[in-house]
Amino acid sequence: MKRQEILLGNGAIALGLLEAGCQVVTSYPGTPSSEILPEVIRLVKSENLNTYVEWSTNEKVALDNAFAASITGKRAACCMKQVGLNVAADSLMSAAYMGTVGGLVIISCDDPGPHSSQTEQDTRFMARLAKVPVLDPSNPEEARKMAGLAMELSEEFRIPVILRPAIRVCHARQNIAFDSIPVNTKKSAFEKDPSRWAATPRFRLILHGELNKKLKEIGKRFDALAAYNFHNLEPGRTYPLGIIAGGVPYAVIRDLLDEKNRTDIPVLKLGAPYPFPEALASEFMEACAKVLVVEETDTLIEYLLGDRNKVLGRLSGHVPLEGELVPQVIDRLLDRVLREASLPPLAGEEDTEAVELVKSLQLPVRRPTLCPGCPHRASFFAIRKTKPKAIFTSDIGCYTLGMNLGAVDTCLDMGAAITMASGFYHAFAQDGVDQPIVATIGDSTFYHSGTAGLLNAVYNGSRFILVILDNLTTAMTGMQPSPSMGIRADGSEGRAISLERIVAGCGVDFIEVLDPYDIKKMTEVLKKASEYIQEPEGGIAVIIARHPCLIAYRAEAIPEKKKVTVTDECTECHFCIDRFECPAIYHDQELGRTAINAQLCSSCGVCLQICPKGAIVEVA
Amino acid sequence: MSTINVVLCGLGGQGILFMTKVLAQASLGRGYNLMGAETHGMAQRGGSVVSHLRLGNVQGSLVKTNEAPLLLALEENEGYRNLPFLARGGRLYVNTMSPLFPREEVRSFLAKKQIIPRSVPAGKIALDLGAPMSSNLALLGFCSAFEDSPFDHENLRETIGRISPDRFRDKNLSIFDAGYLAGKKE
Repeated sequence: MKRQEILLGNGAIALGLLEAGCQVVTSYPGTPSSEILPEVIRLVKSENLNTYVEWSTNEKVALDNAFAASITGKRAACCMKQVGLNVAADSLMSAAYMGTVGGLVIISCDDPGPHSSQTEQDTRFMARLAKVPVLDPSNPEEARKMAGLAMELSEEFRIPVILRPAIRVCHARQNIAFDSIPVNTKKSAFEKDPSRWAATPRFRLILHGELNKKLKEIGKRFDALAAYNFHNLEPGRTYPLGIIAGGVPYAVIRDLLDEKNRTDIPVLKLGAPYPFPEALASEFMEACAKVLVVEETDTLIEYLLGDRNKVLGRLSGHVPLEGELVPQVIDRLLDRVLREASLPPLAGEEDTEAVELVKSLQLPVRRPTLCPGCPHRASFFAIRKTKPKAIFTSDIGCYTLGMNLGAVDTCLDMGAAITMASGFYHAFAQDGVDQPIVATIGDSTFYHSGTAGLLNAVYNGSRFILVILDNLTTAMTGMQPSPSMGIRADGSEGRAISLERIVAGCGVDFIEVLDPYDIKKMTEVLKKASEYIQEPEGGIAVIIARHPCLIAYRAEAIPEKKKVTVTDECTECHFCIDRFECPAIYHDQELGRTAINAQLCSSCGVCLQICPKGAIVEVA
Repeated sequence: MSTINVVLCGLGGQGILFMTKVLAQASLGRGYNLMGAETHGMAQRGGSVVSHLRLGNVQGSLVKTNEAPLLLALEENEGYRNLPFLARGGRLYVNTMSPLFPREEVRSFLAKKQIIPRSVPAGKIALDLGAPMSSNLALLGFCSAFEDSPFDHENLRETIGRISPDRFRDKNLSIFDAGYLAGKKE
């Protein structure tokens, strides 16, 4: 029976995958992709499907797992954020050559802005690099349908296919109607073929030839893919200006033109931009004197268009080279292009006055902060206090916000807290300088890519303190379970993996486990660790600071609640506000003094240990 | 049906996504197609959060500046920050205790664009009813009390009753009602 739900774009993608009979879905969480797997799980449960799901330990692991399922003939998918595809790139490049048996769809979610990522990189270029087809949806409903098309294409041409939704598709909501979903009962069968599945370079050349042939055919298919690659040229008519757009910018342009009834400007939508639909693009270019290309996030279509003299876009300076193409940005650039082509502009109302007014108000910048009661805050406070001169290498997760406490100096990529710590160590040691270094990494990030760096650091004789901030979850992306808990993606029980055992297995001899809420203890252990790394036989000291995340574990995370207040002993030195940075401690303008916001306070009681004057006390 | 654009804003943790969900579910029941845009990820840790909701047959999820007849702000400064989205003749609803609302510097701008600003101590209403995190429902109730609201009071109330988890239903409705009464008194 058909029903209607308001789905997140990521939910629509999950629906599309399952409607296409996807039997295996693997993922590593990362904004804006994190909700796809949970939505798959929700639908698998409500529709009684048999799809296997897992949170893999990283994106490469996820893709390898999905690839193996695909070459047994099953339909598989693998979901990640765009920078996750960097981690999985090794797997992707090779899989493109080897090809698939059952459909294999890789969903890599882009983040123009960027809102929650290190880069604004464009997944479509990764598709071009790997030589695999890519689909670029404009909204959730289209993403759902494209997930199905991607699966069909992959299976027909035996090639991995990438679906690239941008954040405004992933985190859009739309009402979507759907029917019950049938179970796919296809069984695994692996046909041995070492010249393909274990190909040596001689066979790789042959596979590369096959891949090129597939691309050529798919390119032709994309020329005629009328549902997603289409234009509205009138036969025989020529135009002073046309627009080529894909993905989210297409949706924005369609709305802008429709609202103003601008039927004089033809649009070529390219929802399937690679392999490039050459014939369709040429047909469009021929009918237009100038063509404006609006795409996110980079210049794929712009590069692939033949006649550069006609093209306006990022390379000609008409489209911003960085940042998200939100409606008002597209509106402005479109007006400029229309004027240059001697066409009437859209002439929507200007927003300059309002924007200037908001600027003049000098509103407080709301930087994200660690939550009240967050165990990371306690760890960072102790680290900063004990090792004020250290270089603080850190990593990707909530705890990047430790920079607000002056305890995070670097954040490069997943796992780089450890690899950069060893890099810093050797760079300074080479000069005979004894530079203290404290690395911080979360539990999930450590499982993702911490071990290779730690093994390397131990093997090559680095010396630094590594604090693993173990809050027993993957907090930033929405509380996905991490391997330390032994709970799997669907809530079933798995094997818990002990951090202590991994660290010991990496060859570390100094391992201390503690609760960072106890700042005194944490300080003592940090001092002990500092001594250890100075010893002739010393090495890397690992401290596992373990306390559950308050959002994930709520009441359980603070078994002993302590109500706190600020006494008259307070000298308004603001040490607590500046160095502890708890959202619940603030300077009350009306009272003219430091106070506790009872609504925000989690009653963790950690701040009882930090005031130099002892002015934060427990309420009796 | 022509498109109705709504922008909702505040700080991470104030329940902006739930407020958007109420409006979306209520509109779905009235036969609208809808598209919305949400903030997830790092900004949810206390940063500025904005949510867009578009009712009608549209392709894109983001509201363009100058095109929202309705701006709901759970925090006063976030309301000012998002002023560029408000359309001429729009309505601005803000959760604030400040007797000085709207602040001096924006008054002539609001007057020129014929925007009507309305404020309610939604946070206090929710706190007094023992649910300090539910200022979002008080603001919705307040907003639904005005004739010019595109959202029908009964429809919103029924929706909140339907989508609230059992253990919060009565509390949520009482906060929504208190916000509504505050609006009716104006």
